[in-house]
Amino acid sequence: MTESVENLIQLVLTGLCAALSFGKAIASWKRPWLLLGLFYSVFFFGDLYWQLFITFYGDTPQYSFIPYLSWYAADLFLFMLLTVVYSYDWKRYAKYLWPVPVFTAGMCVFYMTYGDYLSNIIAAALMYALIWRSIGGIISLRKKTGEDAAALAIHILVLLFCFTEYAAWTSSCFFDGDTFANPYYWFDAMQTAVLVLFVPALRKAVSR
Amino acid sequence: MNYIENVYICLAAPFLVAVFCARKRSRRVLLFMLGGMTACLLSSYLSTFAASVEGIDLSAASLEIAPLVEEIMKLLPILFYLLVFEPEKESVVVGVFMTAVGFATFENVCYLAQNGAQGVFHLLIRGFGAGAMHVVCGAIIGTGLIYIWKEKWLRVAGTVGLLALAITFHGIYNILISQTGVPAAVGFLLPVLTAVAVVILYNPVNRLIEREQE
Repeated sequence: MTESVENLIQLVLTGLCAALSFGKAIASWKRPWLLLGLFYSVFFFGDLYWQLFITFYGDTPQYSFIPYLSWYAADLFLFMLLTVVYSYDWKRYAKYLWPVPVFTAGMCVFYMTYGDYLSNIIAAALMYALIWRSIGGIISLRKKTGEDAAALAIHILVLLFCFTEYAAWTSSCFFDGDTFANPYYWFDAMQTAVLVLFVPALRKAVSR
Repeated sequence: MNYIENVYICLAAPFLVAVFCARKRSRRVLLFMLGGMTACLLSSYLSTFAASVEGIDLSAASLEIAPLVEEIMKLLPILFYLLVFEPEKESVVVGVFMTAVGFATFENVCYLAQNGAQGVFHLLIRGFGAGAMHVVCGAIIGTGLIYIWKEKWLRVAGTVGLLALAITFHGIYNILISQTGVPAAVGFLLPVLTAVAVVILYNPVNRLIEREQE
């Protein structure tokens, strides 16, 4: 029940944000809005597939290829959004970013003890790309003022999004149960809030 | 027992004959339709094989495996055409739609062979629903493949992302039409309404893309 309520809230909000982003893309003719719209759409469709399966069959899908593929695609569109919003020489910051592959690889090995190998490797690769790109962007943007600084918020939000993903995945390894006492739902709710904040952050970033 | 390969032979034979008689553009259209039918036949084999390997029944496979297999298989004729012939955008658009039409046609004929041709109202809804769904999924992938991204890596990543979108859309459609009553009606209406939205939004989105590319 808690999962369904949580999913429905996320569904409504991501659906609204997708419509808003596509509307902005058509009105402003800017590619970042199109990418954000695609990010919300695949996230929305993944959630919808998951929720419909639970509603009609009373259980989660036996093989979760389809919703997971959708959520991976959402990460991919988010990465593409970061590259389009602000470009920088990532090699300059490589020396600060070595903990990123160590962290993602370590977490991947940990999750493999609970789930299958392939999906964990794909998720780790995508998270690695997102965290690397967002931290690199934050370092590059931190001392900038004016126009470029507007892109900082979107990089911070992507990092927060990755944090909520990892927090939710990790808590699902240790906690079970369909009540709001399960920390998984706290982090999922936090993720929903982060998802909604992408719209004002991108508005600021592309208005420059 | 549904002899899917017999259905394929009956449907593909006139297309094959026509391919030899037709010229250039018409021949390409016929070949793409044939490619769509072949993709549907192979998807059926692959989905059945995957279901038997995993030990799940065919109705569960139609919800969890078939959308994945079908959308990837539907993309292959277009990818082959793109990589081998390096064609113009317009002919890729035609190819995407004709492959989807061929796929939907073959799927509908197999459905008729299995379930009979009674109930014109149901068949009308199913015909339009399945047709629109395959065309919408083809349009989603095709748009990304040829229009949206100039840079090669963005095009590859974007096409993978849009393929995932099409697969999930297809999966949602399959879940809804596997039900009865209102959910099934919503399932059949969903692609039809999306196709209408695609037609309405086609011009503004096309302008957006052209402006981006300038």
